Amino acid sequence: MTLSLHSEFSAPDRAVVHVGGRLDAMTFGELDEAMLALLPQLPDGGTVVIDLTGLTYISSAGLRSFAKVRKTMRAHGGHTLLLNPQPQVRKVFDIVKAVPVNEVFTSTQELDAYLDRMQRQITEGDDEA
Amino acid sequence: MVLRSIASRTAWWVLVGSTLVLGAIGGLLLALTRAQILQHTHHEAAALAANAGSQIQARVDRVAVSAQMLAAIIASRQDDAEPLLRDTLAANLDIDGLAAVFRPPLDPAAPRPHSPFVNRLDNGALSSRDLSQDANPYWNNNWFLGGLGCTGGCWQRPFFSQSRHRQLVNYSTTIERNGHPIGIINADVTLNWLHRILGSLDKPPGAYTFVLDSDGNYLAHDNPELVGQRGGTALLDALASDHAESMRLPVAQNPRARGPVWVYSAPIQGTRWRLGLVVPEYQIYASVRHIFLLSLALGLLAMLGVALITLLTIRRTMAPLGVLADRAEHVARGELDFELPAARRPDEVGRLTESFDQMRRELALHLEDLARVAREKQRLASELEIAHQIQAALFMAQTITLAKALAPRAQTPQNLLRLLNLELCRGNDSCMFVTLLCGLLNTGSGNLVLASAGHEPPILCGRGAPLVLEFPTGAVLGLYENSDYPEHVLRLGRGETLLMYTDGITEASDHDERMYGIERTVESLAQVPPTAATAAYIERLLGDVDRFVADAPQADDITLLALSWHGSVLKTTEMTLDNRLPDVFAALDRCEQLLQDAGTPVALCGDMRLVLEELMVNTVEYGYPDGQPGQIRLRLQPLADAVAVELIDDGVAFDPLQSADPVLTGDLADRERVGGLGIHLARTMTDEMRYTRDAQGNHLLLRFAYPTQDGSSP
Repeated sequence: MTLSLHSEFSAPDRAVVHVGGRLDAMTFGELDEAMLALLPQLPDGGTVVIDLTGLTYISSAGLRSFAKVRKTMRAHGGHTLLLNPQPQVRKVFDIVKAVPVNEVFTSTQELDAYLDRMQRQITEGDDEA
Repeated sequence: MVLRSIASRTAWWVLVGSTLVLGAIGGLLLALTRAQILQHTHHEAAALAANAGSQIQARVDRVAVSAQMLAAIIASRQDDAEPLLRDTLAANLDIDGLAAVFRPPLDPAAPRPHSPFVNRLDNGALSSRDLSQDANPYWNNNWFLGGLGCTGGCWQRPFFSQSRHRQLVNYSTTIERNGHPIGIINADVTLNWLHRILGSLDKPPGAYTFVLDSDGNYLAHDNPELVGQRGGTALLDALASDHAESMRLPVAQNPRARGPVWVYSAPIQGTRWRLGLVVPEYQIYASVRHIFLLSLALGLLAMLGVALITLLTIRRTMAPLGVLADRAEHVARGELDFELPAARRPDEVGRLTESFDQMRRELALHLEDLARVAREKQRLASELEIAHQIQAALFMAQTITLAKALAPRAQTPQNLLRLLNLELCRGNDSCMFVTLLCGLLNTGSGNLVLASAGHEPPILCGRGAPLVLEFPTGAVLGLYENSDYPEHVLRLGRGETLLMYTDGITEASDHDERMYGIERTVESLAQVPPTAATAAYIERLLGDVDRFVADAPQADDITLLALSWHGSVLKTTEMTLDNRLPDVFAALDRCEQLLQDAGTPVALCGDMRLVLEELMVNTVEYGYPDGQPGQIRLRLQPLADAVAVELIDDGVAFDPLQSADPVLTGDLADRERVGGLGIHLARTMTDEMRYTRDAQGNHLLLRFAYPTQDGSSP
């Protein structure tokens, strides 16, 4: 089973990347390339949501790819949010404590609620400034 | 209830039959007697009528004779006429009055001849007068003119004399001189004597008499009201006919007589009168009817007596039969132990009683014999059954032994069934046969080849609804040597179960002889959840069949065989690969396939792939720093509760166990360089990891335990 990728912009400052299949030492390059092309399109402070619903397998190579995405996003004041990891993937995340738990969401509702909250914080922050 | 017993029925029919016979004979006798009685009555009545007629004739003759004598005497002694008349009148009391009248002279002036008339007064004295002196001259009267024609004497019409208040009839005769009538003698005759004569006749009861004159008028009648009236037309017509002596009239003129009457008549000589005797018909038969009714009553009484005697006799005779009938009902119920009444006489009933008793004793003996024979038969049948079962069991044992022996040579189910059939056909004189389902399962692939010899179709479970595998089957084994057994190929999926069964399942019968059938079988199997263990199919179906048949006895064995394929068994597998990533991933794919085929839980497959990827990618990337070619050997080995993996590579020495744990901050992005994660993951996910280093290179021994039932994830 190979990797499958699909990305879309749900808002001008928000991209959703659907990652499916197997993300390992053979396939992580595809993801890196795709992200390299995608991330510059996002404005500073944007958000990338990586939907893991279809991902069945991840190895350390894949973890490193996700780490690179997070680093890149953080460097531009953006956020990387992970959606709906499957048990096998979730287990790997847990073992290596890959991402902050508050940035992993088990459903789109949970994610939308978080994004709304974040939007409000930004708005309030603007008001203070 | 009354007519239920034979005795009462017999008495009743005797009564009815006798009454019918009595009635018939009585009726016949009555008819004959009536004819005789009628004949007798005819004779008697005719005699009576004749007798009466002669009596009347005697009286009439006296009058006529007297009148004729007077006429002869007066012819010569005309002047002595009156004294002669007086003498005659005194002598003959029947005569009421006498007249001697003469023709008047031709000369009207000449004196009229003395024409005396003497009559009897009520006191008996005689008075006389001269009719020639009457104001109304007699020679113009009809009676005179008619009388002149009565040369031999004749009776005139009766008339009622107003002066004398009585019914009278005239007798006239001529007085002749020189052959010429010169006058007439006219005698008035009373009719009282006629009534007396009629009244004095010895008539049968109810009968009456009458006298008719020449004009058909009643001269005399026992019923005085009818005197002077004209006789009925029917009567007069009958009297004018040839059979005037006796005749039957449907209705009598006399209102005193009821119903049809018989009329007997006799002419009265010297006159043109006719005497009649009328006897009512009912009166003729009165006596015979009376006797007949009396006889009938007596006969009926006698019949009743006979019926009663019949009833009592038959009841008494039948009493033992009643007891016998009661005992026969006992026999019918199978009760043979009872008392019989002693036979009183050696008659039919006595003989019947004795025969019945003997029959009862013999029946008891027969029943005993029968029971014994039945027991014997049952024992024999069960022995035969056992013998048959032994034979069948031997045949089955032969089949199984042959199947086992022939299997290695046959290779395929089709061949095995062919060979088996040929062997079983040989010498199978008792034509026993066996149905058989033969299958060859490739435990590695789940491939199943089936061939059937007339066996029930197997049912595939676990792939949606239970599926009855209807494929062409050959003939049963042992009967036809040329049979062929086409093969049916299917591939069992992991966890799928093939259920095979004998017809004892589908033909299991309940108390109403209904069979369990294939539909119920499929329905029962459909109730089993797909994740259930193989035994669940057996338990479910057997339980349902048991509930269906309840405690009805079954004729056949009920056998079930469930075959589940749990995937291929993991065999110890070794592979060697170059130190290149594509090789590594090819090996990983193969390993995963092997593990999946062997039914390894998905989660464990994932873990093992991750560990092996991390370790082998690490080896490929860091074990050969100079880029020289190397080899990695991988060996999978199944253990009882785990899978052991041996990884051998000829790269630089590296003990992953000695590698330092990475610092995990909770966010990989925090780290400058992401390294050591793979080794960490490999160590964490392996249940046991041992490292050795020898001349061949690095030896890494890994152990992955099967998850426990609770820990297994889908």
